[in-house]
Amino acid sequence: MQISFENVSYVYGKGTPFEKAAISDVSFSIPSGSFVGVIGQTGSGKSTLIQHVNGLLKPSAGTIRVGEIAITPETKKVHSLRSKVGLVFQYPEHQLFEETVIQDVMYGPLNFDLPKDLAYQRAKEALEIVGLPFEEIKDRSPFHLSGGQMRRVAIAGVLAMQPKVLVLDEPTAGLDPAGRKAILNGIYQIHKAEQLTTLLVTHSMEEVARYADQLLVLANGRVAMQGTPEEVFSKKEELRELALDVPETVSFVHRLNERLPKDQQLSPTLYKEEDLTAYLLTLLQQKKGEGR
Amino acid sequence: MSILQNFTLGQFVPSDSFVHRLDPRSKFLFLLVYAVVVFLSNQIWLYAVFTAILIFSLRLSKLSLAYIFRGLKPVWFLLVFTIILQLFLTKGGEVYVQWGWFSIEEDGVRQAFFIAMRLGLIVVMSSLLTLTTSPMDLTDGIEKMLGPFKKIGLPVHELALMLSIAIRFIPTLLEETDKIMKAQMSRGANFESGGMISRAKAMIAIVIPLFVSAFRRAEDLALAMEARGYRGDVGRTKLRQLAFSYRDGLVIVFMILMVVAVGVWRV
Repeated sequence: MQISFENVSYVYGKGTPFEKAAISDVSFSIPSGSFVGVIGQTGSGKSTLIQHVNGLLKPSAGTIRVGEIAITPETKKVHSLRSKVGLVFQYPEHQLFEETVIQDVMYGPLNFDLPKDLAYQRAKEALEIVGLPFEEIKDRSPFHLSGGQMRRVAIAGVLAMQPKVLVLDEPTAGLDPAGRKAILNGIYQIHKAEQLTTLLVTHSMEEVARYADQLLVLANGRVAMQGTPEEVFSKKEELRELALDVPETVSFVHRLNERLPKDQQLSPTLYKEEDLTAYLLTLLQQKKGEGR
Repeated sequence: MSILQNFTLGQFVPSDSFVHRLDPRSKFLFLLVYAVVVFLSNQIWLYAVFTAILIFSLRLSKLSLAYIFRGLKPVWFLLVFTIILQLFLTKGGEVYVQWGWFSIEEDGVRQAFFIAMRLGLIVVMSSLLTLTTSPMDLTDGIEKMLGPFKKIGLPVHELALMLSIAIRFIPTLLEETDKIMKAQMSRGANFESGGMISRAKAMIAIVIPLFVSAFRRAEDLALAMEARGYRGDVGRTKLRQLAFSYRDGLVIVFMILMVVAVGVWRV
C-alpha cells in the first residue's frame, strides 16, 4: 500500500508547560512495495513518525494516507487500519503476555475477528517465517524462551495479522549478529513474497544498505533527506552534520577511489556488501588472468 | 504519553522560592500540625485564618495557581461527594429546606462547610509539600524524622528507600504502560469500547507485561545496587546533608503561634 504524509505535525503535551513539537511539517510519499529505511539521531522524531502510520498517534495537523485510508486530526476510527499496518515496537518481547507461544501469536488475528482455525493457521505460518520450530515451541510459555526467541515470537505476533504494511522500530536492538541477520532476512523474505510496504527504523547504516531501496533521513522532527541509498550515501558531509555516518562499504569505496586512477574508479552503486565483494573478486580474477 | 498528563497531583516542580528552600523536615512538621489544628477547629473565622495561611504559603512558593488547581481534579469528586452526604444526612438545628424525606438542616450545612474546608485546605497544603520538595529530599526528611524509631527496631532506612524507589518509578511505569498499551492496540486490542467484561479481559494484556517488566526492573536495580557495594545504611553517608536555616526557625515559631492561638480560642 502506498503511504503518504502531507504536512504532518505532532505536538506532545499540547497546552501544558511541557509542550514539545516532535515532528513538524513532514511530507513524503512511499510507493507501494518499497522497503524504506528510516534513519536519524535519537530524538529526531522517528518513533513519533511511525506511530502515525497505524493511527496510534493522530497528527496535530496534516494528513496521512495509507492506501485508501486517510488520517487527519479529526479521525476517530482506526481499528481497520491496524489490521493492515503491522507495527513492531522497540523491544517487542515486552508485550508478550499469554500462557503459550501459540496463544500469544494468535492474539492479533483473533482481535480482528478471524475464526480460530484460521488464526491458528496464520500463527503457524508466522512462527515459521521467523524461523522458530513450530511443534517444539507452540505450547511453551513465552517467558521461558531466550531473549532472541522471545523477540521472534513477538514479531510473529505482528506478522500473523498478515498486514500489508510492516513497520519495525529497531527490531534488532540488543541482539547478537547472527540473530540480527536471521530476523532481518526473515523480514526481507516476507517483504518480497507478500509485496509488503516496509518501514525499518534503525541506527545501523549497514542494515539499511543491505535491505532498503528508499531512505528517509530525519533530523529535528523534519525530513532532512529522502532518496535511494545511493543518493543519500553520496551526501557524506551532510550526513555527518546530522551526526550520521555512511556504511563501511561506502567509506571503503570512497577511500579506494582516492587512491585509484580516474579511469578505474569504483561505482557508488556498490554500497551492498555482496555487490562490492563480488565486484572486487572479478577485478582480482581479471588481474590474475592478465598476470599469467 | 497521554496518560502522564493526568498525573500532575503533587508532582515536584523545581524552582527557587522560600518554600522550596525550607528543610523538608520543617515542611513536613508544619503540614502535620496544620492538618491537626485544621481538623480540631470549630469556628468559622478560624477557617478564614487557615485559608489566609494557605494563600500566603502558595504565594511564597511562587507556583502558578492554575497549575496547582488543575492537579486537584481527581480530588473534586471526593470533595463534592462528602459535601452532599453531610448536607443531606446530618440532622439537627433549624430546618432550611424540606422536600418529603429530604431536608437540609442547620447542622448539615455547618458540617458540610467544615468538612469541605478541612479536606480542601489539607489537600492543597499537602500537594504544596510534594510540589515544592523533591522526592529525594522528602524521603531524606522522613528518614531523619523517623530516626529515633531505629532504636526499637523499625527499619527506617529501608522504609525510606522503598518509598523513594516507589516514587522514582512512577513515571517509568506510566511510560511503560503507555508503550505496552500502544503495542497491544497495534495488535488490534480495544481498550476504549466494549462491555465491562471485555474491557477487563483486554486489561490482562497490559497488566501481565507490566508486572513482568516491573519485576525485571526490580531485579536489575537490586543487582546494580549490590554491584556498587550497597549494604544498607550502616556506615553510609549522604551526598546532601539536611540543615535547618533561619527560614525553618520562622516556620517553627509561626507553627507554635498557630497552635497556641487555636488552643486558646477553641475553648
